Amino acid sequence: MSLSQTCLHDEHVKLGAKMVDFAGWHMPIQYNSIVSEHNAVRERVGIFDVSHMGQIFVSGKDASSFLSYVTTWDINKLSDGDCRYCHILDNEGQIIDDTIVYTFSNQDYMLVPNASMISKVLDWLNLNSSNFEVNINNKSEEFFCLAVQGPESLRLLRQYFNLSITPFKLIKSDNLIISGTGYTGEKGYEIMGPISESQIIWESFLEMGAIPIGLGARDTLRLEKGYLLSGTDFNGSQTTLESGYSWVIDWNHDFIGKERLLVQRGAEYKSLSGILLEERGVLRPGLEVYFEGEKISELTSGSLSPILKRGIGLSYIDLPIGTTVNVSIRNKQLKGRVIQTPFL
Amino acid sequence: MSEIPDNLGYTEDHEWVGPDEGEGVKVGITDYAQDSLSDVVFVELPNVGDEYQRGEVMAVAESVKAASDIYAPISGTILAINEKLEDSPELVNESPYGSGWMVLMKPSEDRSALLDSDSYKNSLD
Repeated sequence: MSLSQTCLHDEHVKLGAKMVDFAGWHMPIQYNSIVSEHNAVRERVGIFDVSHMGQIFVSGKDASSFLSYVTTWDINKLSDGDCRYCHILDNEGQIIDDTIVYTFSNQDYMLVPNASMISKVLDWLNLNSSNFEVNINNKSEEFFCLAVQGPESLRLLRQYFNLSITPFKLIKSDNLIISGTGYTGEKGYEIMGPISESQIIWESFLEMGAIPIGLGARDTLRLEKGYLLSGTDFNGSQTTLESGYSWVIDWNHDFIGKERLLVQRGAEYKSLSGILLEERGVLRPGLEVYFEGEKISELTSGSLSPILKRGIGLSYIDLPIGTTVNVSIRNKQLKGRVIQTPFL
Repeated sequence: MSEIPDNLGYTEDHEWVGPDEGEGVKVGITDYAQDSLSDVVFVELPNVGDEYQRGEVMAVAESVKAASDIYAPISGTILAINEKLEDSPELVNESPYGSGWMVLMKPSEDRSALLDSDSYKNSLD
């Protein structure tokens, strides 16, 4: 199978990026150095090509009640211009994907699923739409998405578009959608629109001083904030409660998976927890976690925080914050502590 | 273009061995290796006194994305380790043949298995 390429693929190659296979896409993992790209976003401003992400449009008379049914949030409560992060669950309450719902009007929405989940989400929406008057339209291949993130990002938005943006709000400007969203925990926004306009925006933002950021720093930036990575921190068999994201559930509405979550809510369960390494080392996905000599879990995510300069990771465990655990690295047991995310 | 000093011995696994200075030989990873790894954020070094056969895993260099084994380029005993790498692993990137050296070894064999700089350079092509 050949790898998919975003509309900006050749720009990344031209900049000398190291390219890798990510979820079937040929994507830049780093242009220069992951650590310097990470710091550029925390301290200044970076730009990410995330055009592999999906854009699924849902419109029609029943659009808001349909989306309320297939997501953990009561979409009826959103106002025009609202962006809402929520989960799409299967009948067992397990996360199929996480997404942001963009509200253009109460009959017109867009979902942004993860690249590797676009077809699964699309199938799931279609499967569950029979009782609703909705149109579901996958435009993922027609849209680019650029994330501009960092403390200086809003200055560039003013400079280029003469616009400002509020977190979790969207504005439409000509045929572009600009939203106060991102995956880094910094101030920032994402710009989506028809791929024919991607190159001029990419080049203009680089000219204005945005640093191109690869998937490597995207991962360390999101992990420092404890954000979930689809396919890694959830892979179809974890519920929203287990993921630690109960705040994305509006319990006052009916949605697919709710019954299972209500049962789980009253029970004990493992939940995704932060682990901060107290000794020198780098955490990696798959490393084993031990408590009192017994293996209790494995890390789903792991890396080194470029800001804290400590190993950080996520794991499904049922231990109180502050508990000391061990992580096995090359047959050594290194001491770590269970902490409340975000790490930073 | 990678820097490959003439006066060092090399392995195809991108380790270098310094000239014998009486006190043993310094060992590190090449400019090519540090560039491929990018951002070395942690180096796990052996203990002083440990003995290694050529080709055995002796140390590990970790970048943000991956951990890479470093093999003993020559059989021998660890006389000293570069303790500066504990706080400043980035020295491996900044100066792979200088302050980013990893261990000092007392070889128990001659250097005949090592590549010279030209052979190493050819192995990169």
